[in-house]
Amino acid sequence: MQASSGMLTKFESKSSRAKGIAFHPKRPWILVSLHSSTIQLWDYRMGTLIDRFEEHDGPVRGVDFHKTQPLFVSGGDDYKIKVWSYQTRRCLFTLNGHLDYVRTVFFHHELPWIVSASDDQTIRIWNWQNRSLLCTMTGHNHYAMCAQFHPKEDLVVSASLDQSVRVWDISGLRKKHSAPTSMSFEDQVARANANQTDMFGNTDAVVKFVLEGHDRGVNWVAFHPTMPLIVSAGDDRLIKLWRMSETKAWEVDTCRGHFQNASGCLFHPHQDLILSAGEDKTIRVWDLNKRTAVHTFKRENDRFWVIAAHPEINLFAAGHDNGVMVFKLERERPASAVYQNTLFYITKDKCVKSYDFQKNVESPTLLSLKKLGSPWVPPRTLSYNPAERSVLVTSPADGGTYELVNLPRDGSGAIEPAESKRGQGNSAIFVARNRFAVLNTSTQTVDIKDLTNNTTRSFKPPVGTSDIYFGGTGNLLIITPTAVHLYDIQQKKTTAELAVNGVKYVVWSNDGLYAALLSKHNVTIVTKTLEQVSTLHETIRIKSATWDDAGVLLYSTLNHVKYTLLNGDNGIVRTLDQTVYLVRVKGRNVYCLDRAAKPRILQIDPTEYRFKLALVKRNYEEMLHIIQNSSLVGQSIIAYLQKKGYPEIALQFVQDPATRFELAIECGNLEVAVEVAKQLDRPKLWTRLSTEALAHGNHSIVEMCYQKLKHFDKLSFLYLTTGDNSKLSRMAKIAEHRGDFTSRFQNALYLGEVEDRIQMFKEIDLYPLAYMTAKAHGLEEECQSILEATGLTEEQLNLPTFGAPLTPPKPVVPTYKANWPTKATSQSFFEKALLGQMEGLSLEEEPAAANGLGEAEEEGAAKRDTLGEAEDEDAAGWDMGEDIVPEVEEGFVNVESADAGGAGSSEADLWARNSPLAVDHVAGGSFETAMQLLNRQVGAVNFAPLKPRFMEVYQASKTYLPASAGLPPLINYVRRTVEESDPRKVLPIIPRDLEYLAANDLQRGYDAMKANKLEDGLKIFKGILHAVLINAVGSDSEVAEAKKLIASASEYAVAMSIELGRRALGTPDAVNKNPQLLKRSLELSAYFTIPKIEVPHRQLALLNAMNLATRSKNYNSALSFANRILANGGASKILESARKTKAQCERNPHDAVEIEFDQFAEFEICAASHTPIYSGTAYEECAFDGSKYHTKYKGTVCVVCEVCEVGKHGSGLKLFA
Amino acid sequence: MDPYSAEGELINIHNHFHQGQYQEVVDFDVSSLSAENALSARVLQLRARVALGQAQDVLADVQGETAPELQAVSALAEQALGNTEAAVKSVEKLVQSAADNATVQVLGGTVLQAAGKSEEALALLGQHQGNLDAVALIVQIHLQQNRNDLAVKEVAAARRWAQDSLLVNLAESWVGLRLGGEKYQQAFYVFEELAQAPATSSVRTLVSQAVAELHLGRTEEAQAALEQALKKEPEYADAIANLLVLSVITGKSSEELLSSLQKADARHPFLVDLAEKSDLFDKAATKYKAKAAA
Repeated sequence: MQASSGMLTKFESKSSRAKGIAFHPKRPWILVSLHSSTIQLWDYRMGTLIDRFEEHDGPVRGVDFHKTQPLFVSGGDDYKIKVWSYQTRRCLFTLNGHLDYVRTVFFHHELPWIVSASDDQTIRIWNWQNRSLLCTMTGHNHYAMCAQFHPKEDLVVSASLDQSVRVWDISGLRKKHSAPTSMSFEDQVARANANQTDMFGNTDAVVKFVLEGHDRGVNWVAFHPTMPLIVSAGDDRLIKLWRMSETKAWEVDTCRGHFQNASGCLFHPHQDLILSAGEDKTIRVWDLNKRTAVHTFKRENDRFWVIAAHPEINLFAAGHDNGVMVFKLERERPASAVYQNTLFYITKDKCVKSYDFQKNVESPTLLSLKKLGSPWVPPRTLSYNPAERSVLVTSPADGGTYELVNLPRDGSGAIEPAESKRGQGNSAIFVARNRFAVLNTSTQTVDIKDLTNNTTRSFKPPVGTSDIYFGGTGNLLIITPTAVHLYDIQQKKTTAELAVNGVKYVVWSNDGLYAALLSKHNVTIVTKTLEQVSTLHETIRIKSATWDDAGVLLYSTLNHVKYTLLNGDNGIVRTLDQTVYLVRVKGRNVYCLDRAAKPRILQIDPTEYRFKLALVKRNYEEMLHIIQNSSLVGQSIIAYLQKKGYPEIALQFVQDPATRFELAIECGNLEVAVEVAKQLDRPKLWTRLSTEALAHGNHSIVEMCYQKLKHFDKLSFLYLTTGDNSKLSRMAKIAEHRGDFTSRFQNALYLGEVEDRIQMFKEIDLYPLAYMTAKAHGLEEECQSILEATGLTEEQLNLPTFGAPLTPPKPVVPTYKANWPTKATSQSFFEKALLGQMEGLSLEEEPAAANGLGEAEEEGAAKRDTLGEAEDEDAAGWDMGEDIVPEVEEGFVNVESADAGGAGSSEADLWARNSPLAVDHVAGGSFETAMQLLNRQVGAVNFAPLKPRFMEVYQASKTYLPASAGLPPLINYVRRTVEESDPRKVLPIIPRDLEYLAANDLQRGYDAMKANKLEDGLKIFKGILHAVLINAVGSDSEVAEAKKLIASASEYAVAMSIELGRRALGTPDAVNKNPQLLKRSLELSAYFTIPKIEVPHRQLALLNAMNLATRSKNYNSALSFANRILANGGASKILESARKTKAQCERNPHDAVEIEFDQFAEFEICAASHTPIYSGTAYEECAFDGSKYHTKYKGTVCVVCEVCEVGKHGSGLKLFA
Repeated sequence: MDPYSAEGELINIHNHFHQGQYQEVVDFDVSSLSAENALSARVLQLRARVALGQAQDVLADVQGETAPELQAVSALAEQALGNTEAAVKSVEKLVQSAADNATVQVLGGTVLQAAGKSEEALALLGQHQGNLDAVALIVQIHLQQNRNDLAVKEVAAARRWAQDSLLVNLAESWVGLRLGGEKYQQAFYVFEELAQAPATSSVRTLVSQAVAELHLGRTEEAQAALEQALKKEPEYADAIANLLVLSVITGKSSEELLSSLQKADARHPFLVDLAEKSDLFDKAATKYKAKAAA
């Protein structure tokens, strides 16, 4: 086969001769030991030298990374084996023992062992943990050139210049040094024996096989990772393959080809390939199964000394005379094509499959391309023709071939291609429904072929064409090493040309308007006419790219997915743990193929680039949406916005006041600037603000700044220019107060107050000036008095000539009255929309109108007018917009006026805001919300009975502090949080709190019960219920107490109303006469004993029931009541009475009147009908007081609390926040 | 020199006025005052008489006077008599001609604020030149507007140039009672000092002290102070109102006090507010109804 030139070199270093190489198992690092005694650590992905280790004396021949620890080992011609830490960057220790050059060193894959081969003819195994020599293997009778552990078994293989390869069994060594685990007696004996034999010979490591076959010394030997195979390379220029079984080993075959000493060899970690390197300056790849050469890579001048494979990924390294090279055997980029929602791709085993982006499913194999090209060369490109459902595949094999195959209509057909057209060519792509173009780089021709593979036309592309891509309908993009040409197939000429170096891939946007040209380190975005839009540079290699539907290019580098906008703004979307090839982006999903040609979906957060895109497109609705729906913060976005000239938008994100100020100044948003300046109150800020405000003509802000800065002179001048004489005179007074004469003079001058000036001159003894001033203004009297004061006469003076007296200009317009005209602030729609968020959302439903606005925005300052125009144009769409703008404007005015004065919210308002408790809303006077809360919590519907409580709580909330005469008293708000002064935490005082109710009202209720004043009692208990309903407590335990109080009050209220109901039946005589009434009366008296009231009170109820029953000759019932009284115990008087009754009743335990009262049944009393609700029957209850009702009362007002609706379940009464 | 400063002639009469000792102001011997302060003293006395409810007499007194100060007093009297519109009108006229007059500022500000024109009042008062009366008034207006922040600022500014002045202390205490927390106690000290010294004690200071105590949660002491105040002046509406609030807080019956407040001042903010809220309650309560009749 051919000596392929297409070696995929990923990294090359320049140094002295490299003798040893090791890949780091995880990181992109390679360790290179040099003949010059240096050990280099390279990052082969970045191409940088990370570190150098120089402690060996003389050449270093062997190096190896530890699989897991941050260690590596090296062995050199100084006989030393050194173990290093690359973290601390120093040699940890040295293993001495070898008596000659150390050739190779390797770590064991799991034990803390190192195996070394040396020119002293020994192979030694060391323990690097206790730094001891475990075993010396002797047997070779010439230099031992290489020794390696078997990756799984307890074997070592070694190569020597004695022409032999030896396999050593080290299981004895492992047994000896592994921890003693549950050893049987036999094992112990065996072990003792083993140890014993150890003394006589080398049973720790015994030679298992000696492989002889090489005619010269053997330089390298390696185990196969999985199969019982060994490969060796010798000075006889041969690569030999050996096989072994449990008992024997034999030579399988020999690979001939090297024409100089073969220095290294290894098995491909994943494929059935052997790689070897030799002093003939070649690296050769052999088919393991056929032992034929697959590839030969030749280097001009450098002899190869060593070759190594990456344990995980498809990478190899070879050391030669002038350094080291890292290379790949084959391209890993899977050939693929995307059509609409389907991805077509070729798997590693050369099968065409498709992937549906919508269903996220992989198809079965559609087509097998096993016969295309060589088995070791994967196809390079795939082009899909949707019209014919055919694919065009190219392969670099055999100097470049293409194959045109029809895909089966359904995925279930035969996967072997029925018929295919093929030919020579390096690139082949569909250019139309029935045409494809084939580039042949060696002949430098492009053929346009029809689907029967006949050339319809042919032309010569520009010189040096290396690749062709689809260039839009009827066009080709022709790639040369230095430029890209847009070639018109019909006209057979280049229509456009763009100088871009080293383009490797072209990715078209979904709408076909833009293409991304990818080279190794650059992305160039061009239009379909090949005009450059933007370009960007990446230090890391760019692997692939795909377009977002919105026109954002996502591209992948070795370790990142990044985006770029058309304007060149770019950023990182996410990191990658392995290299992938992007094929499609949809929403938050990025579809890609990994190196194993498996479709994968990566989750990304497109927020950042969508936001930037919206910004570029001035799609403010989108931006608004993004801001509202995602957490888009951080310095980067702020910096970005500021840099891009959108300070007013950046302003929306910034919390830090200093930055806010900067941004506000930058975008001329004085309101915000003032707000922040007030907050920070630093002279520097005020100065800047004053300058900015002055530029805006906003003199009221300027004034404020000067006031803050105490710039009296500037302030005076400002007042002069705005014509504010009253303030000017105040300035004069202030100057006088400050004793600042210059300032006073200035102010007097501004005001035209001659007298004041004269007065001032006199005060500071400048009589001449005072005189002059007076004279100049014709104030003769004043002149005279000055003369008198100084004792001079007019004749003694020598006066200069006077001009006309100075009169300050009179203000024509009272500028100070209005803060106008000011420069239009660049307050954007965006900002407004943010302020009026609600309307902003509705705007989204009118994208057309909104877009119009976006464009209008670009006009900048004159936008108000533009808005008007836009409104005329699209009146319907603008109805909404019109609603927004004035409203926002209003909001602004409000903010401003609130700044200047205006009413704030009272503490009462705060209460409602601070608390979820109804009572706090009541105290704050917000009755509606309080009612709402109660309705929601306990289903309160009838509020009238609560009115006294509402008013009580409200009345207690405020005090009246007499202040200035003639004005109403100052209202202050009484708090229950006396210590608290944080307005967000203050809460109102609550009259009759829980404690008070328990100590007062409840006792009064008990008293009423005892005193048999049931009407009063009922009222009191209902009052308690109302008071608790509108109340607050301080802790969860108090909430429980409150619940208890509610339950108790409710039971009493029910009990009392039952008894009151009985009494309302009529006088005892009337009742006795009417059997029905009598029955009811007896029933009610019995029910009266049911509610869970306090025991002494229950005794009263029972006594009452017992007496009534006895009187009506219901001895059985009376007996039960008597029994209950006796069971309860208590006051002796009642007990005595009960005992008597019991004795009397037991004689005749029969009821004269049948009543509905089963003393043994479990039941509760319906509060409305006063009839039993037996346990197990359905009932409704009041969500607040818990009184029970028959279901028919659902929806009525609870008769106990008189407030809540029966059966309406709320969230539960809230008494503690 | 500021006649109201510690060494000034008017310090005592001025303090009496602001401590609410209106009778003392009226009885103050003004004959010994210098001519330039006579007018100020007279204004104070007239204001005290207005505060004492003799607005009608005061109005007659200043009838036909042209001095802006006295015209302002007349406006104040009008206001006190309930002729708000006339008062406001005359104040607005005064503002046109003599906005820089301290008395006009203070009285005009009072009238405007009483008429609910807070912005105008603040604008007028804002022109003052180191007039503590105006400062106090501004503070009160800010507090009434619930702009505690501005009130705090105003007091802090005034404190810088008028450290020990009674009015600054009072204004600070007003603010303190609004802010709460530790400030309650500080306010209480100021009012207590005034209320408990016989020379400065007045119904107003007693009520102020009581209010401070009430806010501090010391209901018994508040009760005592209010009763003391009511003994001095049984018809003093603010005292009754606060006592009423106190009795509600302590869970006592307030019926009697309510009727006496009705008698003392039917237009007291407490009653107005209560009536308003009562209506509000009735209106709000109608929104809810049980699904089924009982």
